[in-house]
Amino acid sequence: MTLNLCVLTPNRIVWDSEVKEIILSTNSGQIGVLPNHAPIATAVDIGILRIRLNDQWLTMALMGGFARIGNNEITVLVNDAEKGSDIDPQEAQQTLEIAEANLRKAEGRRQIIEANLALRRARARVEAINGIS
Amino acid sequence: MAMAALRREGRRFAAPLISSQPMTAIRSSLIAEEQTPLGLRSISTQVVRNRMKSVKNIQKITKAMKMVAASKLRAIQTGAENSRGLWQPFTALLGDVPSVDVKKNVIVTISSDKGLCGGINSTSVKISKAIHKLTAGPEKETKYVILGEKAKAQLIRDSRKDIELSITELQKNPLNYTQVSVLADDILKNVEYDALRIVFNKFHSVVSFIPTMSTVLSPEVVEKEAESGGKLGELDSYEIEGGETKGEILQNLAEFQFSCVLFNAILENACSEQGARMSAMDSSSRNAGEMLDRLTLTYNRTRQASITTELIEIISGASALEG
Repeated sequence: MTLNLCVLTPNRIVWDSEVKEIILSTNSGQIGVLPNHAPIATAVDIGILRIRLNDQWLTMALMGGFARIGNNEITVLVNDAEKGSDIDPQEAQQTLEIAEANLRKAEGRRQIIEANLALRRARARVEAINGIS
Repeated sequence: MAMAALRREGRRFAAPLISSQPMTAIRSSLIAEEQTPLGLRSISTQVVRNRMKSVKNIQKITKAMKMVAASKLRAIQTGAENSRGLWQPFTALLGDVPSVDVKKNVIVTISSDKGLCGGINSTSVKISKAIHKLTAGPEKETKYVILGEKAKAQLIRDSRKDIELSITELQKNPLNYTQVSVLADDILKNVEYDALRIVFNKFHSVVSFIPTMSTVLSPEVVEKEAESGGKLGELDSYEIEGGETKGEILQNLAEFQFSCVLFNAILENACSEQGARMSAMDSSSRNAGEMLDRLTLTYNRTRQASITTELIEIISGASALEG
């Protein structure tokens, strides 16, 4: 029994095939999904999604959205998603440093919130790369 | 210049020649030409030649516009197809129930900013007005949110007081999701609604655009419907996780659904607009071609007639001298 995973962003379909197991980051922590999971609908936080195909784990950075799990079908709708293998490590590291610098410089609630979001996104991307190894 | 030439010929051409229907009028006036007695010089070849030149220019311009529309269509089409997969899970989870009866309806009409795109804007406006009438009733109110110049111009005439918000110049920058989500946010903040009905033209193929309406319900209505069973009853079978309360998740979900559906609708409408413009410009070029053929025939006839008259004059002059 395998799960059918679909990861969709507004611009393209990032992933559409069968997997053995996934680990998803939600607002209330990480959840692992195996075949025959109970149906749930949950919000997905900015973080990483781990996919297992035959004892090999793949990482993907997700930028927030929703997931619906039911009947061995998982649909994840996110604002943006990047496969770990598609991210350039150095560029991701640089983006992380720039985001941290911006957070320190930010003033005013709005800028702080935006800088926080950017930081979390950059961190998710860096984690996605590290997660592969 | 045409008028002066005609006056010189001593012709009394009616105003319709230069009116808004120059093509049909000139055909009838040229036919009137054939029946006038010879001896009076007919419409000069110069006039016909000028008209041929302008028709040829129009044909070139419309052909170019058709090619521009075709290339723009190709560019947006892939985006539209990719965004189609996005709202299907929402429909599977929350259902698309157009027949839900709610107090506050908001109709979001999507149209184009530029004209010359066939009838798609008029059909969208017609459907919006029909929905407005259908959902009107005691204690119910229906408001419009308008995206695009063309619908605004048409709806502002008779429904000005019902328009909540109107947004134009969407297509200045290439469309992407962040822009649309900001727009969706804007709309959701300023408008109270129980159900949002988005009216747009769905792009099925280059020659077929079907006006479509998608319904997005507000979270309170979703909860109510879920409890009462029916299509949304399945929602309850899903356990909602992540976040504090079910209501909060449902609200986020509804907002996300709205922005996804709106994104897809705007892209599809843009594709339909380019497709409609392509076919409108194509039929326009073809019309110009036919007109050019007819004018060429007239031109040749005029030319031959004037040559014949000259010959007659010369010959009769010569025979008058001899005899």
